[in-house]
Amino acid sequence: MQGNSVLIVDDEPIVRESIRDWLRDAGYQVATAETGEEALEMIEKQDFSVMVLDIRMPGKTGITVLKEVKAQRPWIKSIIVTAYPSEETTAEARTLGAIDYLIKPIEPDDLERLIRETLDSVGREPTVITEWEIRPKPLVAELLEVKKSFIINRGNLKSLVENLAEEMEVVGVKSKHGRYVYDRIANFEELCLDYDVTVLPPTKYFLPARETMLKFKVGDWSKIEPTIETLPRAIIGVHPYDIKAIELLDEVFLVANPDPNYLARRQNTIIIGVDCLNPSPKSFAPSMGTRLTETGFDLLLTDIGADYMVTVGSEKGAELLANYTQVREPTGNEIVKQKEVRDGALVEYKLSLDVPKERFLKLLEESYDDPYWESRSKTCLSCGSCVMVCPTCFCFDVRDEMALNLIEGERLRQWDGCMLVDFAKVATGENFRHDKASRFRHRIFRKGKYILERYGMVGCVGCGRCATACLAEIASPLEAFNALAESAKVKQAAIRIIREARAETDLYAPRLAELVNVTELTPREKVFEFRLSDGKALGQQPGQFVEISVMGIGEAPISISSSPTKGNTFQLAIRNVGDVTNALHNLKKGATVGIRGPFGNGFPIQALEGKDILLVAGGIGLFPLRSLIQYILDRRSSFGKVILLFGARSPNERLFLDELAAWSKNPEIEFHETVDKGDENWKGNVGVITTLIPKVNINPRKTMAVVVGPPIMYRFVIVELKKKDLPDENIIMSLERRMKCGVGKCGHCQINGVYVCQEGPVFTLAQLRNLREAV
Amino acid sequence: MKPKVAFFDFTSCEGCQLDALNLDGGELLDLLNAVDIVNFREVKTERADNYDIAFIEGSISRESEIPRIQKIRDQAKVVVALGACACIGGVNCLKNYLPMDEALRIVYGKDAKYYNTIPARPIQAVIPVDYYVRGCPPVTAELVKVIKALLLGKKPDIPNYPVCVECKMADNVCVFERNMTCLGPVTRAGCSAICVNSGRFCWGCRGLVDDPNIDSEKDILKKYGLTVEQMIERFKIYDTYAEVAK
Repeated sequence: MQGNSVLIVDDEPIVRESIRDWLRDAGYQVATAETGEEALEMIEKQDFSVMVLDIRMPGKTGITVLKEVKAQRPWIKSIIVTAYPSEETTAEARTLGAIDYLIKPIEPDDLERLIRETLDSVGREPTVITEWEIRPKPLVAELLEVKKSFIINRGNLKSLVENLAEEMEVVGVKSKHGRYVYDRIANFEELCLDYDVTVLPPTKYFLPARETMLKFKVGDWSKIEPTIETLPRAIIGVHPYDIKAIELLDEVFLVANPDPNYLARRQNTIIIGVDCLNPSPKSFAPSMGTRLTETGFDLLLTDIGADYMVTVGSEKGAELLANYTQVREPTGNEIVKQKEVRDGALVEYKLSLDVPKERFLKLLEESYDDPYWESRSKTCLSCGSCVMVCPTCFCFDVRDEMALNLIEGERLRQWDGCMLVDFAKVATGENFRHDKASRFRHRIFRKGKYILERYGMVGCVGCGRCATACLAEIASPLEAFNALAESAKVKQAAIRIIREARAETDLYAPRLAELVNVTELTPREKVFEFRLSDGKALGQQPGQFVEISVMGIGEAPISISSSPTKGNTFQLAIRNVGDVTNALHNLKKGATVGIRGPFGNGFPIQALEGKDILLVAGGIGLFPLRSLIQYILDRRSSFGKVILLFGARSPNERLFLDELAAWSKNPEIEFHETVDKGDENWKGNVGVITTLIPKVNINPRKTMAVVVGPPIMYRFVIVELKKKDLPDENIIMSLERRMKCGVGKCGHCQINGVYVCQEGPVFTLAQLRNLREAV
Repeated sequence: MKPKVAFFDFTSCEGCQLDALNLDGGELLDLLNAVDIVNFREVKTERADNYDIAFIEGSISRESEIPRIQKIRDQAKVVVALGACACIGGVNCLKNYLPMDEALRIVYGKDAKYYNTIPARPIQAVIPVDYYVRGCPPVTAELVKVIKALLLGKKPDIPNYPVCVECKMADNVCVFERNMTCLGPVTRAGCSAICVNSGRFCWGCRGLVDDPNIDSEKDILKKYGLTVEQMIERFKIYDTYAEVAK
């Protein structure tokens, strides 16, 4: 597709041609259409970046064209032009995704500026791969009402499915080896609507087991393309508990940092649900409030015997019924019958929770140290089956894969799960959840507490898949916290979220930065200075981190070592411990890397201003802390007394020697350092860093301590600081975790319910007191 | 300078090598662009002794194999174990349940006196091994993945989780639900659950994960009807060395 292609749709030749000429002169690829019909035909064959659209046209109006384009090519940005503005059409055009409105006569400059801004804001276009073109049938004038129920007979249901199959992929539930799976439906007869539960949930159509996020060519930074593989699809026969799970995924992937791949699939998918009348023996959906649903579907079927009741859940659903099949109003008896079959199914459920939901959060909070976690997880195989089959599990891993020519590569994401041994392991070898009991507890806490607190919904819909898949028979959350009652009501309908979400195509695509300088600190550590290729400053806060990419090797989170007060470049000090850091260590000046971020909260500058500051850096903890040291020295008058303590393992492992020397001579800070073990040339302090703390004088009421070091150091430093009566609120720490995605999605960096990449990496000790996994 | 690659075989069926370069034409050309294959008995007759990367198939089951493999280790910068026999000992280790004299007698009869044999073992029991391409036979894609990682200077990401993960991703109905039993819950993934995908069960040819819960797996096999003897037979096929070494 042309990155600057514009389609002009206007029935007035003079308007159409003059706009065309202006834009051509300004360097755009321009095509024109006289009518809405012609425009739609062109769009079907060819893609455009921007459409300039007249509202009043004979035949199809601009609004109708917008509707169809939205269904067909949702990424085309539309600008409305009209001589007859009305509040109503403006509002309607906006809801249909039009980005702005110009009133005729149009100033060419206004239009050109608008188009340019639109193209800029769109960023790089995703490669959207669709196998089939959608050919929407003309809309019927009168839409069926949303939320209303109708009767559809089997023959008409069959024609609905068959008509859909002509225009998109139709997937549904089929039997396989005595169980059921979602798969492509070739004919209506193989579709099961009375199944109990499927092996994998339908969420696999929104988050596939493995997908390409970016395609790139090593050495050619212009060739990093965000990639979205999607095709128009209808999923038929989704049970209400899975619909509720999709609503939860919508919260996760569409609300903050909208995920472009998820959004594209969600917008391209029709959901036709079916009431579950034949529940799995392991299901406890009624206890989770997911037995029935009123939201989250386009259509919902209930098998009432001879025919199906069909409930319309969205305008899209209403269009489907109007355009593809025939329905009739239900009789009074049929409405009664729907209630009867639903109630009849309720008694089929064998399992339920005993405890009201009000006690649920508290129950988990009080059971963190319960011997249950240890004893029940003994037989855990760490096989991941429970999380792989879970409709509400969404964690993923990201890695680079190269073609054999070592030039073309892809950045892939693949399902991952907190029950797998290496999920919380970082490059230095530390595994923050290394035993079965802590992983087992984390999963149940996620289900019952962390997800609920973060997204307002319980992270379990009671489908019973994990209990079925777990060979050790320990996975059912029902058993673990037989405490949940009705799940929290869904805060908002998923449909609304999807409409409002704007894809951030570049969410996972790095910006480019040039390596302008490299300095070796020790044989294992170097400091790298980068400049973003667009010349802009990174805009970091001291204490934030970036995700740095070496294409083909991968991406890693690295804290920023320089202060924003140091100009337009930024520095990353990096120890060579893993694949990415190893590749970085081999880079030469002038090389290009990818940067995403800055991410995380950074040190709380406002809380530090006006206070005495005690800075404690252990080993490479100096890397993130250096950004704050520089900041404080550059804004020295904003802070009180400043004390800096630095400890290295040996004289050879001391870092930033010039700066250490400068700080020791600088009258504006009090500097002490020590090494764990000296050598014949070392004349300074010997002993671990905690031995320095008793030597300094601090006023606990006006001092803030900022501590960064290896995990083991924190516990001992805290003990010494508490001896100085420093309150928990005044002790600030920066934590290391496996921040894989940086945008609060992949789950790897979680400490209890907190995402280190979002709420961290900087925490006060007071905050960490409630995070048991932290230190 | 393209790295020089050599393939060697010890006690094995040579099936891993046969399968190793079962690539499509384009991929094979890309591979040959990236590396020089200097030593590969199944493919070419010329041989050279200056190689950087040695792929070794087979386990060690004779005294005379030990100095030979040590010489390869001395020459190669990187040694990669190829296939189940080299990585975990494989089916050759089944003989370790017998006294070696008896094993020789069963195989060679009256000619047994002309041969010698030692308990079979994976190559890591004799020399340090850098990387492993597991399986019986290995997945070609994984061999290619290891080669690419070596060329790129990164660690190949070989899963340390059980086959169940990939089996679930493939949307398979669990083997245990189909009245069969399976070693998938303790066996290292990386094969995309190929045996289960084609209607069978996992035999464990890729060896165990780093920290397998064998006790739990045995409880499960028992629950699903295997006798202790059947269970031992199942683990014996590929995991004899790991189990006996414990």
